[in-house]
Amino acid sequence: MNQRIPAVFLILAPAALFGADSQWVLGPSTLSYHVSHPLHESVGVSHEARGKGVCHAGQCDFLIAAPVKSFDSKDSNRDLHMLQVTRAGQFPMVTVRVLLPESELTAATIHCDLEIQFAGQTAHYKQITLQREAHGNDIRITGTIPATLSDFKIDPPSLLTVPVKNDVPIKVEMSWRPL
Amino acid sequence: MLRDTFGKWHGGVRGVVVVCLFVTLVPLLMAQTAGTGALTGKITDASGAAVANAKVTVVNADGGQTQTAATGADGVYRFAPLPPGNYRVKIEATGFQALEIASTTIPATGAATVDGKLESEQKPGEPSLKDLGFTPDQTAGSAAAQARLDKRSHMLKTHQTLGLITLAPLAATLILSSGAAGKNSTASGREIHAAVGGVTAGMYLTTASFAIFAPKIPGTPTRGPIRLHKALAWIHGPGMILTPILGALAYDQRSRGEKVHGIASAHGAVGAVTGIAYGAAMLAVVIKF
Repeated sequence: MNQRIPAVFLILAPAALFGADSQWVLGPSTLSYHVSHPLHESVGVSHEARGKGVCHAGQCDFLIAAPVKSFDSKDSNRDLHMLQVTRAGQFPMVTVRVLLPESELTAATIHCDLEIQFAGQTAHYKQITLQREAHGNDIRITGTIPATLSDFKIDPPSLLTVPVKNDVPIKVEMSWRPL
Repeated sequence: MLRDTFGKWHGGVRGVVVVCLFVTLVPLLMAQTAGTGALTGKITDASGAAVANAKVTVVNADGGQTQTAATGADGVYRFAPLPPGNYRVKIEATGFQALEIASTTIPATGAATVDGKLESEQKPGEPSLKDLGFTPDQTAGSAAAQARLDKRSHMLKTHQTLGLITLAPLAATLILSSGAAGKNSTASGREIHAAVGGVTAGMYLTTASFAIFAPKIPGTPTRGPIRLHKALAWIHGPGMILTPILGALAYDQRSRGEKVHGIASAHGAVGAVTGIAYGAAMLAVVIKF
């Protein structure tokens, strides 16, 4: 019997060393885009993002998605125009896939690679810096993705013949909790 | 007798020739009509983006003949001509799960359309949109939905442009009202005021129709300044119908040498309220990108 215990330990030890699978689910979160024009600024906010993360063999894969229609800039006229220029009728979802080493999940500053699918295009962002705060078991991740309209082949809309700026930073505030 | 026999033989040869021609030509004719069908479609990924260079294979369910084609940069493939019948369609692309459509019918004329949405080749345990609980209705877009958005946007831009242009005859009508009423009014002043007012009403109704008939987009509630803009339309809309009617009554009374009286005397006030509501409605919306 005593000989069996070390044997079981030896069998299970590699799994413990390489890290067992873990899963995360997205809690209350806010995604917002910021559009700048010389005459005005606008922010569209969505609270309808859903997400799931799976960590396996030291690598984590997170998927976050939100309906494009869920972004609210407090002006339905502008939101409908946003849906039109971003081709949301044909591509109704925005998805963000995050790949990062599991060890990054414990760091206060996370560096990760992102892949965003939006408006029928896929854009990749390398080594994006996000901030992490632990709240008990939950973690809160905040940061800004330096997206641009041209990343997604969106023609900048104009106001009084002056186009909006190409930069459309996306601010993320996410709460993740382990499953 | 010999002649009869020859005649019968000759008739028999004729029959054989006809049968041979029938047997030979009918398949040829059928083959000609068989090639007039076609199959086309667009291959997209889960997000709706076009998948280029996807391999599309069609297998005839009856004969087993196989044809392949590749999608272009726009994700579109085309088989033409394709003999009519039932076909199995298989779509393969690097990085995606293969998609197979068990049966599609190619008509004798015209093209059948088979679009395909490819799911990414999922790594074990990799989260997907389905895992997040989104329904296919939420995640699947369509060209028709985009066309509706495009049409709405185009109509509202026209509404805005015409609305701005309508301001000019509206202002002119208000200015010209001084020559149509009061002590200094003249017959020609009234006529000019009525004519310009008529142009204003016509342009206003045209402007309004672009907003009224713009297709609605489900799931997009009205928010922000556009609510006030729409609310003010309940004032300037009826006002823009009532003002010309009252104006016509007033014009008629003045033309008979009478003083404007009764309901017609409200023409000026109704016109002023309508103009103010119209201006306020324009101010309520800042033209957005």
